[in-house]
Amino acid sequence: MIELLLFYVFAAVLLFAATMVITAKNPVHSALFLVLAFFNSAALWLMAEAEFLGIALVLVYVGAVMVLFLFVVMMLDINLAPMREGFARYLPIGALVGCVMVVEMALVVGSKDVNLIHGGPVTSAAEGVGMSNTKALGSVLYTVYAYPFEIASVVLLVAIVAAIMLTHRRRPGTKQQNIDRQVRVRKEQRLRIVTMAPEKRK
Amino acid sequence: MAEFANLVWIVAKIVALVVPLFIAVAYMTYAERRVIGWIQWRKGPNRVGIYGLLQPIADACKLLMKEVVIPQNANRFLFLLAPLFSIIPALAAWAVLPLGDGLVVADIDAGLLYVLAMTSMGVYGVIVAGWASNSKYALIGAMRAGAQVVSYEIAMGFALVGVLMAAGSLNMSEIVHAQQGPFWNWFWLPLLPLFIVYWVSGVAETNRLPFDVAEGESEIVAGFHVEYSGMAFAIFFLAEYANMILIAGLATILFLGGWYSPFHGIGYLGPIFDLVPGTLWFCLKAGFFLFGYFWFRGTFPRYRYDQIMRLGWKVLIPVTVVWLVVESVFILTGFGPWF
Amino acid sequence: MVELSNYLVLGAILFSLGMAGIFLNRKNVIILLMSIELMLLAVNFNFIAFSHYLADIQGQVFVFFILTVAAAESAIGLAILVVLFRNTNTINVGDLDSMKG
Repeated sequence: MIELLLFYVFAAVLLFAATMVITAKNPVHSALFLVLAFFNSAALWLMAEAEFLGIALVLVYVGAVMVLFLFVVMMLDINLAPMREGFARYLPIGALVGCVMVVEMALVVGSKDVNLIHGGPVTSAAEGVGMSNTKALGSVLYTVYAYPFEIASVVLLVAIVAAIMLTHRRRPGTKQQNIDRQVRVRKEQRLRIVTMAPEKRK
Repeated sequence: MAEFANLVWIVAKIVALVVPLFIAVAYMTYAERRVIGWIQWRKGPNRVGIYGLLQPIADACKLLMKEVVIPQNANRFLFLLAPLFSIIPALAAWAVLPLGDGLVVADIDAGLLYVLAMTSMGVYGVIVAGWASNSKYALIGAMRAGAQVVSYEIAMGFALVGVLMAAGSLNMSEIVHAQQGPFWNWFWLPLLPLFIVYWVSGVAETNRLPFDVAEGESEIVAGFHVEYSGMAFAIFFLAEYANMILIAGLATILFLGGWYSPFHGIGYLGPIFDLVPGTLWFCLKAGFFLFGYFWFRGTFPRYRYDQIMRLGWKVLIPVTVVWLVVESVFILTGFGPWF
Repeated sequence: MVELSNYLVLGAILFSLGMAGIFLNRKNVIILLMSIELMLLAVNFNFIAFSHYLADIQGQVFVFFILTVAAAESAIGLAILVVLFRNTNTINVGDLDSMKG
């Protein structure tokens, strides 16, 4: 009973936050509401006994990705007025499409032909193999899904390289050390030997 | 009814943890001023009460009485919310820290991950405070703090990966059990590079000297909390010290054998030292780290911002990665008494 | 007792909200990125729910990979956004009508 109540509370906050993400005037508020949405999702995932993923969601999204979003939103000096143009114009069609999709999916979920499991799960995914959620996930990830795991790490590496290459720049007009050129410098470039007659004291 | 009793029991445990924590935070400010005073050959606070022992209470009263000034054009709601953003994760992370054998609020399986997740959320308080103040020094301080905390989190996370490889568990109590024995059995010895990396990044993570460019009085006044006063400022202050105690407690659990005495299991010495309660050992070890914080503050000059970033990305992270490889070789070959 | 259908309906509403967000904020690239994150979150909800109620860990493995790819996606997306803003001084989708970099 308490479980169901908690589910509804978290779900309600999650949906409220998601609504605010798409309707807030200021992108900073949107980003902060998205943080709230992720946090509530993490709580709901914990309720579904996906402990590792729930905590990883907080760690990766709330702790890193959303900080990045906030950084970008705060640092870019955006003129917000033109951004809001067309909000009212597209509100009916947006709401309509959203409602149609919700109704369609609810019909699918609620239909008699779809044999959904009713009531709770038989055993939890982790208990089925007799270990904690993290261990169960790891044991599958590093054996059956070893190659996809490697590919995922390469994807992340590519993302790191791409993000740095895209945003890294040398600003003109700032003084910087060029170590490469410093090392390659020849004596002739710096030193000029002049021969001159010795000066005589008058 | 049973559920209700359970709830009351949980709340009682939380209160029993948080109240001593707040007292510890209050007296840490006193201890810091005394230690710094001692290092700098002066007295420190010694007027209020005997040896100035009532000074923290006087300070708290003063801050409570003061007005919370909200700057014009500041985002009022976020401005007041930001201090809470910074103190809640600092306190929430304590839920999984075992202070003694079985003495823990929530003994969860993924404890270490939970702590990482909670500490990674502390940065929001700083960023939101800097942005909501509508002040350029605050924003610069927030950006500095944000970039610094996110960078050092990576080094810290890698250091913790080493611990969980050695212990074979994410549960904090089991990590301590894996270090059972005298002090050379604790993880600080086999994981010495990771221990040092953890300590350095812990200092950086809490924005303490010598890595306190986020506040940097001489450059950007006081950084992200320049616009805060009264109680709102006091909460930031509390959060910083609660974070320091958290980092110290974590270091104790992960590298210094938690509640075990240094001579546990040695001939005649072991049983004698085991008479001292485990929680006291925990506090002593954490106190050692906290003294380290004050010592650093009294000793090192402030780093430049680019030097901090270089240290994090180009020194600490490569060191951890190399040592993780070395450690996996240790584990495969069953090296020493540890693995 | 929380049932599977609770999670599925929640996921459906969340997905629709993300999609409505793309309709409503057609001009602002940052909000578009956030809406995509919302939709991915909704998908993850379904995976987690099915994994829980079918007692099969494979669903969580999928969520793990989706999280990885989504993190990479948002990092690159934001990097492109920053470069875009640097070059054109706007992130309004309506103004991005030039093919030349």
